[in-house]
Amino acid sequence: MSDARLKWLLLPAGLFVLAVYAWPTLGLFRNAFNETGPTGAMVETWSLKTTAEVLADSFTFELTLNSLWLSLSATLLALALSYPVALFLFRTNSRFRGLLAVVAIMPMLISGVVRVFGWLAILGDRGLVNSLAQSFGLITAPMKLVFNWTGVTIGLAESIMPYMILALLAGFGQLDRTLEEASRSLGATPMRTFLRVTLPLSLPALALAAGLGFVLSMSAYITPKLLGGGRVFVLATEIFEQATTNTNWPVASVLAIYTLVLLLLLLAASNLAARGLKR
Amino acid sequence: MSYLELSGLQKRYRDAVAVDDVSLSVEKGEAVALLGPSGCGKTTTLRMLAGLVDPDRGAIRLDGAEVTRLPAHKRNMGYVFQSYALFPHLSVARNVGFGLEERRVAKAEIARRVVEALAMVRLSGLDQRRPRELSGGQQQRVALARSLVIRPSVLLLDESLSNLDAKLRDTMRHEIRSIQRSLGITTLFVTHDQVEALTMCDRIAVMHRGRIAQIGSPEDIYERPATRFVAEFVGRANALPATRDAEGRVVLWGERLPVAAPAGGEFDLFVRPQRIRILPISEPVADGMARVTGKVLRSVFVGDHVEVLVEGAAGQIQVELQSGTALPQEGAEVALVWRARDTLPFPRETA
Ligand SMILES: Nc1ncnc2c1ncn2[C@@H]1O[C@H](COP(=O)(O)OP(=O)(O)O)[C@@H](O)[C@H]1O
Ligand SMILES: [Mg+2]
Repeated sequence: MSDARLKWLLLPAGLFVLAVYAWPTLGLFRNAFNETGPTGAMVETWSLKTTAEVLADSFTFELTLNSLWLSLSATLLALALSYPVALFLFRTNSRFRGLLAVVAIMPMLISGVVRVFGWLAILGDRGLVNSLAQSFGLITAPMKLVFNWTGVTIGLAESIMPYMILALLAGFGQLDRTLEEASRSLGATPMRTFLRVTLPLSLPALALAAGLGFVLSMSAYITPKLLGGGRVFVLATEIFEQATTNTNWPVASVLAIYTLVLLLLLLAASNLAARGLKR
Repeated sequence: MSYLELSGLQKRYRDAVAVDDVSLSVEKGEAVALLGPSGCGKTTTLRMLAGLVDPDRGAIRLDGAEVTRLPAHKRNMGYVFQSYALFPHLSVARNVGFGLEERRVAKAEIARRVVEALAMVRLSGLDQRRPRELSGGQQQRVALARSLVIRPSVLLLDESLSNLDAKLRDTMRHEIRSIQRSLGITTLFVTHDQVEALTMCDRIAVMHRGRIAQIGSPEDIYERPATRFVAEFVGRANALPATRDAEGRVVLWGERLPVAAPAGGEFDLFVRPQRIRILPISEPVADGMARVTGKVLRSVFVGDHVEVLVEGAAGQIQVELQSGTALPQEGAEVALVWRARDTLPFPRETA
């Protein structure tokens, strides 16, 4: 098929994206220029008043810091847990390699809501961790592990791990067993080999996975909402709050666009950093 | 006791015996080739030496000390990988200096020795390049320099020339050999290329199915192959089905040959194409010569020699003549003559 005719293959997907993504996004941008009247009803206009108010609000600043901090800690935690798993999957010659890979990314197949209830069963006041710790006499009163930042961080880290493992596996291109063997035959201990060969060659993969995990964390809504127990406020939960509970479309739209711009800026920065790493 | 001793090495994998039983003694400063077809266990043997694979059985002794279970980083073996395995994130200089940095050699000393090593492999001036900015031949030299600069107890080369083009391979062959000689470094050279083995090494160990079929000088291996496999694998040879007559003498194409037959069973005579001369059919032959007759099928000019195919009563014989000699006419009846002692009888394989 010629290239000219080939492009028609993209038509169905193009129409679909246009309908369910581009159109609502345009609506989002339109709403951002509207205002909220004294009754709470939306007033159609073209002004930057809502934007100015949202940006001037110190709560927006707090939400931003919360979102960034939560995403950073969840990403780092998930990265620390995913890297060894991905390394193992990348290297193993086991017959069960395919099966193990599926197990590792299995959580992707489970609904976020179900996962959250799983975490409640593990981290709750009478959950697995607290009962075990109490029965061993390590603690007297249950530790607060859910309905706070700790719980959200743990739950979020777990939910982004499968994506990060896949990203790591995709990024391990330069990593080669023979290079590690060369390092050892040149006198480097296994630890030194990890530091001088494995880790540096994993950096592109780690950057890729971290970027993905961060974006996913920034936009996560279910985990902060349910595991946060109403005490954890981030940009995503606030957008949802404004759009549904308050039906304040202009503010929700401005916050959504604000988050988008924030992510684009971070992505651009990490791209620059990654290019620096490759050199 | 020799400098390097492998005794009874064995390595099995779940579904295959990679190395069955390998014993080998190498003297200090000697270059020994492990020659064999792909899959015969050469790389596995080398990896066991380097400590990258644990043998299931057997022992490795280096300079009197047992090193069989010593981890790779304590062995001081210079391993040149088939793929070169240069670190892509490090400059040529850092690649070459890697082993010295791990040995905590002083910075100035490292710099000096890296320059020296790069000069030895004729790569001076490229020290700040990245491996991917080098040609295959240059990468090969960096890998060699990186292994030599640590002054290894043994240099291990795994098919190191097989990724280079023919011309470059020839150059590298001579360079590596002369470096090896001048440093007096004990070397094990894995290859499936007989020319490499014959030209680069003091001795050759021919491997077959995880075992060593024969160890000897290049001449030994070529002139006096111990097994049928060695005769077939090293150099070219005509394998001619022969029989015994009533008195037990060897008969080929209806002619008796002054050659001793091997005991029992069917057998073939192996004769190298270069050892056979083509004579007019009327020419008498001296004692101790084997002679059969046949018709010239065709002659092919191959540059430095001419291949002549002669058909006889029970098969064909390939003869290699130097180019420049008079070519026999196609279709001519000729006599093929060779020294009886150039005939190698081996039992026919039943496999
Ligand atoms: N890690 C391994 N797992 C399973 N089989 C292996 C492994 N390494 C080598 N083998 C097998 O052992 C045999 C010898 O391999 P190798 O030593 O690489 O041969 P060579 O270098 O002579 O080509 C081959 O049949 C190969 O498939
Ligand atoms: Mg090999």
